[in-house]
Amino acid sequence: MTPDATRTFAALAREALGDALRRRLVLAIAVASLLSLQVVDSCTSCGSATFTRDGETVAMPDVAGFSALAVAIACGLWTLILAGALASDHLADPLQDGSAALVLARPVGRGSFALARLAGALAIALVSGAVLLFGAGVLLHARQGLAWPPLLAAFAACAAGASTVGALTMAASLFLPRIATLLLLLMSVAGIAAANVAALLGAQLGGFAAVIDGYGPPLVSSIALALREWIAPTAVPGNALALGLRHAVWMLASSALLIHAFRRVDLE
Amino acid sequence: MVLELASVSKRYGRRSALDRVSLAIPPGAALGLLGPNGAGKTTTLRLLLGFTRPSEGQVTLRGRRPSDPASRLGVAYLPERLALPARMTVRDFLRLHGTLAGLAGAALLREIDAVLERTGLAGRAGDRLGGLSKGLKQRVGFAQALLGEPSLLLLDEPTSGLDPLGVRDARDWILAARARGASVLVSSHVLSEVERTCDHVAILNEGRVAAQGPLGELLRPGESLEDAFVRCVRA
Repeated sequence: MTPDATRTFAALAREALGDALRRRLVLAIAVASLLSLQVVDSCTSCGSATFTRDGETVAMPDVAGFSALAVAIACGLWTLILAGALASDHLADPLQDGSAALVLARPVGRGSFALARLAGALAIALVSGAVLLFGAGVLLHARQGLAWPPLLAAFAACAAGASTVGALTMAASLFLPRIATLLLLLMSVAGIAAANVAALLGAQLGGFAAVIDGYGPPLVSSIALALREWIAPTAVPGNALALGLRHAVWMLASSALLIHAFRRVDLE
Repeated sequence: MVLELASVSKRYGRRSALDRVSLAIPPGAALGLLGPNGAGKTTTLRLLLGFTRPSEGQVTLRGRRPSDPASRLGVAYLPERLALPARMTVRDFLRLHGTLAGLAGAALLREIDAVLERTGLAGRAGDRLGGLSKGLKQRVGFAQALLGEPSLLLLDEPTSGLDPLGVRDARDWILAARARGASVLVSSHVLSEVERTCDHVAILNEGRVAAQGPLGELLRPGESLEDAFVRCVRA
């Protein structure tokens, strides 16, 4: 009997998802997501208020697009960090406790196994991200009249970024202890986000920051570009096709790196 | 040959785990892999399954390199350190492994019921793996290994954690697999079980093959397997 590759992958991914769902961390994620929605709710509930800037009264609706963009980016970053945090032990743990050995003694390729584990971790992160992003979108649409369709593109950008972050974190977890992997994840996402935001705000980047913004995974810039309609189309520079292509390249490269790294690991 | 190691060495840094080991199992044969702790038995199994690569020499499983997943078609493995996903039920665990072994649909369900019955787990199919005793977990390990009637069984300390009844059952399962033509490699410290289930023996000592051959040829007149083992290891 030759196992069907699709059926094998589906069975492994289902098991990886079940494994992710059974973790206590997921309960914490669900609570944190609901609390975050509460924060988003309070952030978007001041539609008719005004505030003073440089002695001038500014109506909230005039800056609603900017605040909404900030909320969406925060939701996106939460999803990226979550994807990385879940991926940081979702492959390393079964390797360490030995349960992966039984599966890999079957006619299962290491690439299939690693990608299935990644899919399991990503599914949880993306569901949480979708709840947050689209929850915020519903509130922003109802209270500030912002269009919701751009959120679909923003979510796609977020999913692509989460895939890259998850795959790279999972690859790092094969060689680093969990705490070091998590620190690397946080520093990398924060670094890329800072470079992207600085570029969006018009800062002249040089050196390493310019390289990160220009060639790194466009984690924040792609979300901002997807939602530029909320502020002014010209306010966010960038080419959607180019950023989409860069996302695709990073997704493929990070998955390939994960598979390559996993093939070099000795199993117990 | 169902599996073959040709002059295989494996080193971890400066430590040599295997040193120019050559072993082979013809179809339908059962090889008992014996040796004191640290002799290289588990390393041999890990090499065969592609879990690690040899430093030198060549390993083939069903005529292919172990890094090729197709080499493990029809191969079942029972590790010494059996780690089962604690929150999965016995039936779900077997369904996963049946699927990975290439079973599907009604045949998969039939096969799961059959191995549950054969391994005495029919009444525990809905139990979570984390709640099972060590002996029952070992039975689950055997159940997954027997799914789909594998043509090659790789068993690392298969009677570990089993009570005397379980040990007898395990012996029966191995002999039944052999009776239908499967090849078997058993790595074990329990010499009496190897004597009863295997027709070939290889004794490893300090990473080298101290002796190997058909059981009948390895034993001197009046000698038990234990005597032969001690003679080879202390030589």
